[in-house]
Amino acid sequence: MAQHNANLSRIFHALGDPTRRALLQRLGQGALPVSVLAAPTGFALPTVLRHLEVLEQAGLIQTEKQGRTRLCRAVPVTLSVATDWLATVRAEWEARTDRLEEFLATLEDDDDPEPRD
Amino acid sequence: MILNPETDLELVRHLTAPPAKVWRCWTEPALLEQWFAPKPVVTRDVKIDLRPGGIFATTMDIPGMDSQTGAGCILEVVPERRLVWTDLLGPGYHPAADSFGMTAFILLEPEGTGTLYRAIALHRTPDQRKSHEDMGFHDGWGTAATQLDAVAAAL
Repeated sequence: MAQHNANLSRIFHALGDPTRRALLQRLGQGALPVSVLAAPTGFALPTVLRHLEVLEQAGLIQTEKQGRTRLCRAVPVTLSVATDWLATVRAEWEARTDRLEEFLATLEDDDDPEPRD
Repeated sequence: MILNPETDLELVRHLTAPPAKVWRCWTEPALLEQWFAPKPVVTRDVKIDLRPGGIFATTMDIPGMDSQTGAGCILEVVPERRLVWTDLLGPGYHPAADSFGMTAFILLEPEGTGTLYRAIALHRTPDQRKSHEDMGFHDGWGTAATQLDAVAAAL
């Protein structure tokens, strides 16, 4: 569906930026006011607001004015629109097995594996 | 074992290393830390107590994000053959207050000079998972974000 695809594009666009992913990650642990979210990013407030707007347009977060502050909260269900959940988990296990295989290949054939420093 | 295609997955692969080496990579913290998470994620503070009821815990530092710590409970240990753990329980079989809902099996068999490697992960039913997500699950969030990173970058 075109509408569905448009939503997916917005979601992936929103997630394609590391600052926005970091903001979303922090909101994954609970709602926060904009000022608290902005503080550790090192960006000016307008920049952070712009990032939050992109996340909100994608439906990944909701914001709500509470007195003089604006509260942001994550909308986890939006992520599940973008991913087939089990495919994501499978990709994680496949990648993990790739890394195990590569790591095993770095070990000397006849030696026991030794912890690195 | 009966797998539910909606919630469970099985991964089968031949590895060239023998089961003894694969086992050590999965069960020795200093080795596990070197391959468990994708770079630049750092795995640290790995705790593995190889007995039923023992701890299986990792902490992952994801750049720009908060650290993710998960402590599960080992259920079965057959050296060089079978490692089973779950995050539904914590160490010592204490019920976990908030878990992603997973039981994982690492099964090793000799195959030629290498290993027939099977990883099986059982998960909650979709309904349970949905309600868990609606509550705002914590551990899966970082994982999903990390994976989506790769998906998004490829678009």
